[in-house]
Amino acid sequence: MAEERRGSWFGFGFCGFGQALGSGRGRQVTSPEPLRAAGTDAEVCSVSASWSYTAFLSRERSGPIPPGPAPTCPRLLLSWLPAPAGAGQVQLSGSARGAAEGCRDAWASETLLVVLRDGRGPGAGAELQAWAPGSALCGEPLWAQTVVPEAQREDREDGEGDGTRARPLPLLPGARAYVSPLSPLYRPLAPELRARRLELGTEHALLLDEAGQVYSWGGGRHGQLGHGTLEAEPEPRLLEALQGLPMAEVAAGGWHSVCVSETGDVYTWGWNESGQLALPTRSLAEDRETVTGETTGLSGHGPGVTGTTGDEGGAPASCIALQPFPALLDLPLGSDAVKASCGSRHTAVVTSKYGQLGHGDTTSRDWPCRVEYFVDKQLQAVAVSCGPWNTYVYAVQRETS
Amino acid sequence: MAEDSNRDTLPGMGPLQEALRALLPRTKEELKLDLSENVHRSVLILLQQATNLFYEGRRSECLQTTEALLDYSWEKLNTGVWRDVDKDWRRVYSFSCLLKTMCLCETPGDATTVAAALKVCDMGLLMGAAILGDILSKVAAILQTHLLSGKRPAQGPAQEQPGIKKARNGHTSIPDTRSEEAVPRLHCPSLQYFRKHYLVPQRPVILEGVADHWPCMKKWSLEYIQEIAGCRTVPVEVGSRYTDEDWSQRLMTVNEFISRYILNEPKDIGYLAQHQLFDQIPELKQDIGVPDYCCLGDGEEEEITINAWFGPPGTVSPLHQDPQQNFLVQVLGRKYIRLYSPQESEALYPHDTHLLHNTSQVGPSMTFQLLPHPTPFLESRQMASLAFFRSTWRILTWRSSPGLLRPHSCPASCLLEKSCSSRLNIGIMCKPWT
Repeated sequence: MAEERRGSWFGFGFCGFGQALGSGRGRQVTSPEPLRAAGTDAEVCSVSASWSYTAFLSRERSGPIPPGPAPTCPRLLLSWLPAPAGAGQVQLSGSARGAAEGCRDAWASETLLVVLRDGRGPGAGAELQAWAPGSALCGEPLWAQTVVPEAQREDREDGEGDGTRARPLPLLPGARAYVSPLSPLYRPLAPELRARRLELGTEHALLLDEAGQVYSWGGGRHGQLGHGTLEAEPEPRLLEALQGLPMAEVAAGGWHSVCVSETGDVYTWGWNESGQLALPTRSLAEDRETVTGETTGLSGHGPGVTGTTGDEGGAPASCIALQPFPALLDLPLGSDAVKASCGSRHTAVVTSKYGQLGHGDTTSRDWPCRVEYFVDKQLQAVAVSCGPWNTYVYAVQRETS
Repeated sequence: MAEDSNRDTLPGMGPLQEALRALLPRTKEELKLDLSENVHRSVLILLQQATNLFYEGRRSECLQTTEALLDYSWEKLNTGVWRDVDKDWRRVYSFSCLLKTMCLCETPGDATTVAAALKVCDMGLLMGAAILGDILSKVAAILQTHLLSGKRPAQGPAQEQPGIKKARNGHTSIPDTRSEEAVPRLHCPSLQYFRKHYLVPQRPVILEGVADHWPCMKKWSLEYIQEIAGCRTVPVEVGSRYTDEDWSQRLMTVNEFISRYILNEPKDIGYLAQHQLFDQIPELKQDIGVPDYCCLGDGEEEEITINAWFGPPGTVSPLHQDPQQNFLVQVLGRKYIRLYSPQESEALYPHDTHLLHNTSQVGPSMTFQLLPHPTPFLESRQMASLAFFRSTWRILTWRSSPGLLRPHSCPASCLLEKSCSSRLNIGIMCKPWT
């Protein structure tokens, strides 16, 4: 009985390099499929997906489930499930293969695989290693640095080591620095930022601090910084539009950004070329027009194009290409969001050429669409992690009432 | 399984397929990718896989693989500033376009399939970089010939030179051209004279008689352009001016552009602006020449960029500055240009954003009141004359003809380069102003 409440991972989207994603058949998976278990004793606790390979971090099964009913709110559910303790194994799947023991965290990108490993020898601090993905984690890493023991101790004091408080990569323990796939690899952060979480997009970075405030910096040509301009920012700059609203999550996609507030509201900003902001986009509006035959192709286009976006008889939807300020989303059925993750051009499910939306097809969508697979199977999604072109979801069986 | 099955004429393999295959190396081993380490190992694997699939005749799998390559390299092309994008990523994009084009043409298809293939090929030419001895240009030429041989150019009802039926915008009145303020005109001065009196002191001038014998002066018309280039895909700027919020760039064929933005009483302003059309469509390049005056700049002759400007009347280009020295030949139609000297820069209020750094915030109707000094201007007509402006002059164009010298807003950062090379601009406007 208790076993049923353990969650498992599902994947869907692009798997053209054979990365583990459900059954792994073909080049893409359009509907969620359970991941094959890595081993009977190990439990996958986090997933970091790059374009051509995925890194799975798994640990020994943790202790027994506490008695009593499971909370229904997803955020509480995640912290209620006993998190595996200690270091585990990193396994690579896809264009990069191999495995390594003694790992606490892993972060995958095309040029670098970054791993946080237990120090070699007793009492040694953890070691941050950067490997070439093709090295199969054999030989020597491209770069290695010992994490200052004080930083590690700080982390352990802040939280009890459960998933909600630990600072995941690319943020380094102690939050004094982060790692980047581009040179320089090691980048310091001002300590007064008190970073809790950091996410990297293709050209920008997002930071969530202890007070739930969001900062952004980097390239801004597609509005992904959220400051209302298309200018770049060299240093972390506070998102004034969200000031005072405590955020629980941030996620960075290729050229867009998403954050989730503590009350479950979702904000998106940046490039909307495939509808990844869940706002109407011209390219999809034009596709819909062609399909429904509403135009002969010669009439004017521009703001004011009416697409069949679902609000029949409503005002014509204005198409949005760039959104330089955070926009609040209306999720269907009035649901609250808990986690968000972004791929290159999709958001914990919005665009879909490789099935990364999980709706069973390869159509893009510019409005939020629930993945029915999980509803049909009575699964409660608890965590989500997006690769550039695919999506991994951690879900738990619902209690049948 | 015949070993030479790839090369023998297969049943159903028509002249198009043969001609395309002849451009490629015989075997997959002979196809050299020659890409640097900057391209991810994973991409090289996929590209090699796609090439193998093509040579093995596994067309649909090849298409799937090239789709992934196109999407991934497209992301790289959209990362950062255009001029900093590694050329190898553009080559990956070109290779992917090449393979996709070849796959689309493998099966005998109708004109729609070939047109789709040409579109992919054009994308490779527009966004990619030259590979395999500029193979995409050769592919485009073959596809275009194939398309043209199959049909006559579409003739609309008496589209010859439609007069203006009504004023498009009531307020675009053209100011008087007082002769004492006009830019001087010379007839074919010597190169030394031009350099001494105009190039070095940075003074604008109109050089007459330079382009009299260019074939374009006689040959070019709407029908001709549709015939030669109608099925080619080009970038079009949509919106009144590039400082407006709803300004955007789109890709469409020349036929679509003409149909939507030149003829049929267009609702939007669309403009084929600052596009190196003549590199993309060599057949048109044969109709123009490159005047010797263009070679007097500090740059190498290869650095001369030739841009085409093709659009409807009634639009205005905001006051701006270009880093290169410019030569303009107006082949069809009419343009009004107003120039301000560098001494008057302070009165011109440039935008303070990076993207619009070279553009003034002052609109055309305001300038006449604000600037007391007499400012030279010129009016360019279809007179085979060559207009020259040095880079430090500010330029305002008032269009009854296509806008002149408007910088590309996409690779905006390159506007700040101190480039000394020359630029030749060829202007076409399709509705004569009566």
